[in-house]
Amino acid sequence: MCLGIPMQIRSIDGYTANCEAKGVRRDVSLFMMQDAGLQVDDYVVVHVGYAIQKITPQEARTAWELYDQMLEGGTGA
Amino acid sequence: MSGDSPRQWLERIRGLPLPEHVRIMNVCGGHERSITMAGLRSALPENIELIPGPGCPVCICPEEDVFEAIQLALNEDIILVAFGDMLRVPVNAPRKDARSLEQARAMGADVRPIASPLEAARIARQNPGKPVVFFAAGFETTTAPVAALLVEGVPDNLFVLLSGRLTWPAVAMLLDSDTPGFDALVAPGHVSTVMGPEEWEFVVHKHSIPAAVAGFTAESLLAAMYSTLRQLLEDHRFLDNCYPELVQPGGNRRARQQLHQAMDVTDANWRGVGIIPDSGFALNTAYTRHDARREFPSYADDARKRAGEMPPGCDCAKVVLGKIYPNECRLFGIACRPRHPVGPCMVSDEGACRIWWSGGMREPVTKPKRMMA
Repeated sequence: MCLGIPMQIRSIDGYTANCEAKGVRRDVSLFMMQDAGLQVDDYVVVHVGYAIQKITPQEARTAWELYDQMLEGGTGA
Repeated sequence: MSGDSPRQWLERIRGLPLPEHVRIMNVCGGHERSITMAGLRSALPENIELIPGPGCPVCICPEEDVFEAIQLALNEDIILVAFGDMLRVPVNAPRKDARSLEQARAMGADVRPIASPLEAARIARQNPGKPVVFFAAGFETTTAPVAALLVEGVPDNLFVLLSGRLTWPAVAMLLDSDTPGFDALVAPGHVSTVMGPEEWEFVVHKHSIPAAVAGFTAESLLAAMYSTLRQLLEDHRFLDNCYPELVQPGGNRRARQQLHQAMDVTDANWRGVGIIPDSGFALNTAYTRHDARREFPSYADDARKRAGEMPPGCDCAKVVLGKIYPNECRLFGIACRPRHPVGPCMVSDEGACRIWWSGGMREPVTKPKRMMA
């Protein structure tokens, strides 16, 4: 449950941001990040539906490469 | 040196005048998954042993809390929601009874998996006439969003069965014991992102154990390992931060403030381990109206056999504390597999047993713990 997913903010409505990662869109809460001055196009790390920290586009790309590798690793049976 | 490749970090580590044996513990299921999937154990020199420690909140969630959730789902007219991992965690119950939330659902209980606290509030809003109980187990990274949800405001019919835990007290308990079982610590990345890296300073200052916060890439993990090894060799201890892109001094202050606003820190039980001081979260008085433990009867039964313990024959407690590796458990891969898990470490994606099995480390132990795998 500690896995954080990098996502890009596409729109913001109050404390709710519509975020995208790899073509998938999700509503994400910015309630824990309300002091960060987040704007559309910023990248955030999302954990259980909540943005926990802002990151740079480069860091988001690096994290996604890691998750792609993990997903290729299979889920076991 | 940031931006260096895993190969460069490995070469740097191989170039160190390493002691005969160094044990580096991690306390995060995400770290263990990265280590296993990247094959770091076999890539590192044999002197270095990587030990998965207490990094799985599902694994240490008290058996009696899972039992309570099952009983609430079966006996009360409610909707029970929980993170997906929790649905398959087994409790110690007779075969005819529900042994997991998944089995309770098969017996007719309204049990729903969720991926976010936001879904718990949404389900409560969609079902205003019915109590919704959110069984919320997790470490700080998951408990902080639960606090944020409460602080932002939730429907009157949402109740939280909270089983939140802090990570560092388990490490403190190990270090205060006669046999901590490790010489250096890779501190968790996202726990530190939320709570601040300062939580881990006691490791270096009080116990003189090298420590470094790591992210989840092989580069970041190897950088943290390299840092702790350098600290050991140069006899100079400090808490290093090898995940500066996310981990900032003080952590996420707003998240910590919300945690403090909604919850108190309390002594708490860890499954198979026992009570660890100041290691749990409880809803504070301002939020008692949303506390499932107050709203509903307790189904705790002291006469229940092996209540609170791991299932018979299961060594998850030793795995969680880094005392043995997953494949040293007698059940690993034989009676206990992901499709038919006996213990919680084989259920959760963050459990060391599940991670090792998924990573292809499926053979029973053939060598003693040291320098195995």
